[in-house]
Amino acid sequence: MIKPMVNINLNNVSYTYSGRLEPAVENVTLSLDSGEITAITGLNGSGKSTLARLILGLLKPQEGQVCLDNRPVNSYTLAEVGEKIGYVLQNPNQMLFNTTVYNEVAFGLRWKGMKGEELKARCNQYLELFHLWPLRNKLPFNLSEGQKQMVAISAVLALEPSCLILDEPTKSIDTLRKKILIRVLRDIGCLGTGIIVISHDRSFVDALGGREINMVKGKITAYETRR
Amino acid sequence: MKLDVRTKLVIAAILSTLAIIYQNAVVLGVVLIITIVALALLKVSLQSFFDFRKLIYLYLVLIVIQSLFIRGGEPLITIGELHLLTTESIIYGIAIILRFLILIGSGLILLSCNLSEMLLAMDRMHIPYEIVFMIQIGIRFIPVLINELSNIFDTIQLRGVDLRKVYKRKVIRVYISIFTPLIYSIWQKAEQLSILLELRGFRRYPTRTYYRTISMGVIDYIIIGLSLSLAVIFVVVISML
Repeated sequence: MIKPMVNINLNNVSYTYSGRLEPAVENVTLSLDSGEITAITGLNGSGKSTLARLILGLLKPQEGQVCLDNRPVNSYTLAEVGEKIGYVLQNPNQMLFNTTVYNEVAFGLRWKGMKGEELKARCNQYLELFHLWPLRNKLPFNLSEGQKQMVAISAVLALEPSCLILDEPTKSIDTLRKKILIRVLRDIGCLGTGIIVISHDRSFVDALGGREINMVKGKITAYETRR
Repeated sequence: MKLDVRTKLVIAAILSTLAIIYQNAVVLGVVLIITIVALALLKVSLQSFFDFRKLIYLYLVLIVIQSLFIRGGEPLITIGELHLLTTESIIYGIAIILRFLILIGSGLILLSCNLSEMLLAMDRMHIPYEIVFMIQIGIRFIPVLINELSNIFDTIQLRGVDLRKVYKRKVIRVYISIFTPLIYSIWQKAEQLSILLELRGFRRYPTRTYYRTISMGVIDYIIIGLSLSLAVIFVVVISML
């Protein structure tokens, strides 16, 4: 399936949290396109997650501008941003709203108006992808942290957004699921989905390929392109 | 002048008690002036106190709500049989706003105290440590839970739910979805915390020591005595008027 293109532009963006002196993100200029895999790396507190929240319009930059498809991101509603960009938080517990794993994956799709066989087929596809089918009737909160993480990723992937931001996606998942995740991300990247991964996991970032952006104290210090 | 936390607790308790026992707008006005003076003397930033002017619409709603329940006074605005605004309701509404501001002022006095010192003061006042600890944990987790709730609101919208366009019949469903992870998170945190507390020897011994110490100085006793005396005089004078 050919995805609609999404272009994300950050122009001299700076953000300082209230009560802090040091900016969390400082003078970041960046352009991200559909079909591109970008890994944002850096130490704890280097501004990686803040950058993701700025891209999504969850934080408003004090300086500079974040544009989504040449329009300031703040001119979109969050639901409109969600149509274009899928976001997986570090903490999957904040992304689980339903009483079964199946309903969790179906949640966003139902709100989009999908139903019947189409909904069932889409949910099954993403549940099978991460070996979650046997868990489909389980309460998501009772799963292990790694399984919760996979449910959260599946639920966002099922929406098939044009761009995907994953914040520390491999934090609690096992080696098998990490390999599956790498394969799936590379596959959807080839289909035109832009992927932004925030990660400390060196092996994961290396296996994913694409472009790597390193952040130190809120600034981008290095760009590197891998194959 | 640095006062002991207990002195501030007594001042806040006196002011909020006066705010609750009186309903007369003039008396509450006097108590509010005393509160502002106390805040100034205790060097509490009055800026945050005056920030509550932003709630002007809430105050107006309070006045209108009073009108629906209070029959007395001259009607100023009426819709059919319904008195939307009467002179008496305005006075009652103003009294409620004044009471609200006094309670906020008392809260600001408490907010100016160091949390650890306040908990220590409560312990010195023979409040059971379990209760003091519960208050401490409650205060500690408020920002965490606000942050989690905000994240949940964001992610639910990013999953395609436009909260502004949700139909009335679906509102409850959406709010159940929002509060389910929050309640789970609170339950999970409580469970983990109880395990960690047991592991770290919580209440293994009947008494505990504190790193910080607090002590009442002469000035604290003078101010507490003066505050209590003035409060009694105030109550007596008002009852005689």
